[in-house]
Amino acid sequence: MINFEEELKKFHPSLEVEEAEEAIYNQDLTDMADVLVGMIKDMKEE
Amino acid sequence: MNCYNCGCRLSEKDFCTSCGADVSVYKKIIHISNRFYNDGLEKANVRDLSGAITSLRQSLKFNKNNIKARNLLGLVYFEIGEVVAALSEWVISKNIRSSKNIADDYINAIQTNPARLDTINQTIKKYNQALAYCTQDSLDLAVIQLKKVLSLNSKFVRAHQLLALIYIHNEEWEKARKELLKCCNIDANNTSTLRYLKEIDHVSSVEEDKSKSTREKKKENDEVVRYQSGNETIIQPINTKEQSGFSSIFNIIIGAVIGLAVAWFLILPARISSAKANINQELKTVSEQSDVKTSTIADLQQQVDTLTASNAELTTQVSSYEGDNGTLQASNSLLKAADLYIADASDVTIIADVLATIDEEAMGDTASKEFKQLYDALMADVGPKVSESYYSTGYAAYKKSDYTTAITDLTKAFEFDNTNGEALYNLANAYNKNGDVTNAKKTYAQVIELFPDTERAKRAKDSIAQLNNE
Repeated sequence: MINFEEELKKFHPSLEVEEAEEAIYNQDLTDMADVLVGMIKDMKEE
Repeated sequence: MNCYNCGCRLSEKDFCTSCGADVSVYKKIIHISNRFYNDGLEKANVRDLSGAITSLRQSLKFNKNNIKARNLLGLVYFEIGEVVAALSEWVISKNIRSSKNIADDYINAIQTNPARLDTINQTIKKYNQALAYCTQDSLDLAVIQLKKVLSLNSKFVRAHQLLALIYIHNEEWEKARKELLKCCNIDANNTSTLRYLKEIDHVSSVEEDKSKSTREKKKENDEVVRYQSGNETIIQPINTKEQSGFSSIFNIIIGAVIGLAVAWFLILPARISSAKANINQELKTVSEQSDVKTSTIADLQQQVDTLTASNAELTTQVSSYEGDNGTLQASNSLLKAADLYIADASDVTIIADVLATIDEEAMGDTASKEFKQLYDALMADVGPKVSESYYSTGYAAYKKSDYTTAITDLTKAFEFDNTNGEALYNLANAYNKNGDVTNAKKTYAQVIELFPDTERAKRAKDSIAQLNNE
């Protein structure tokens, strides 16, 4: 049986258009390629 | 694909031909990213948008510079109504590659239309408000807000899901199912949607089973009677009565009564209303006709008045003509008298009778001069003779105490000869003797006036004095 309260917690407020800029800045864009390059760089430094 | 170290284009080798860096792992990472992108694209093609989002996000986690994956992710977000998320992806994509990027078109399509942007913003605000209502337990208001949201953006999957969740909470299963099916049409494989649908199906099947078993039980109970007889349970079917003739007749009567009731309450009022309308129409027509007739009567009355006035005028004219006729008649009588006089001048009685028919006073001024001259001539010649004759008969009657005849004859005697004072005096005496005091006094006064200084005047004075003393 679905628990209404629990299900409701899964719904989050949507970002408004004014908040889009902030959301873009705060987005973590680190990818696997960055991690790899970082690791290689670290290895070279060692 | 470019080298992460020097940016030079890579070949099929596992190292960079430019800087010599080992790119084998890097290449694998990029390949995995592309693999996820392909997976996401496939899922998007079959409207598994949730799956596509997962794959595309994975793709971007491996390679944030995968522009195609990022643009597609934005497009998928836009499709499920997450416009801000879509815009974010497209903005990042545009930052990574500022030229020859389709994200630029997407952003322009939204930004160049302020009304659309405003609608998007309103949709998001209303959705957030609805969510707030849900947390405040104002579910009715939340439903209203969500309906508004969906009227603005019917592809907003999260709004559909939230609305379905509220319906599920309110046990409005069919409404919830309808919303979830709409979700499925947009995003065919959304986990939450499918879970809710499953729950609804489960609840529906359980309820159906329950109702089915209840119906069966009821049917069974209706059809049989169970009771215990010693160690045995007896299940005895209930004998259902066949419909008898009486019940059929009863049903027919009920049907007839219902039919009559329908006729009475539905058909009859309509008929009555129609009849009333007809009567009113006829009344109106009759009233109009009555008005016309009243008008005609008024006209006719006016004509009658006019004709009456005309008649009165004509009557007056006729009277005047009759006057003329009378004149003519008098002329005829005068001519007749003249004729008689020429034939036999001694027969004064007949001449006098004819002359008596001439009303001298009535003629007045209408009589001609010649008429008057002839009349006076005849009267001058015949008058004294006639007067004498009447006097003789009158006086004889007076002597015999026949005062009525005496008054008549003596009156005529004085009329034919107004110099006959004896006739006038005896007329006064006749009145006196007859008891007509007024005429007696009047006639005595006439004697005194017309024949003064005579013996008769003296006697008349005495008689008046005597009458006054009485």
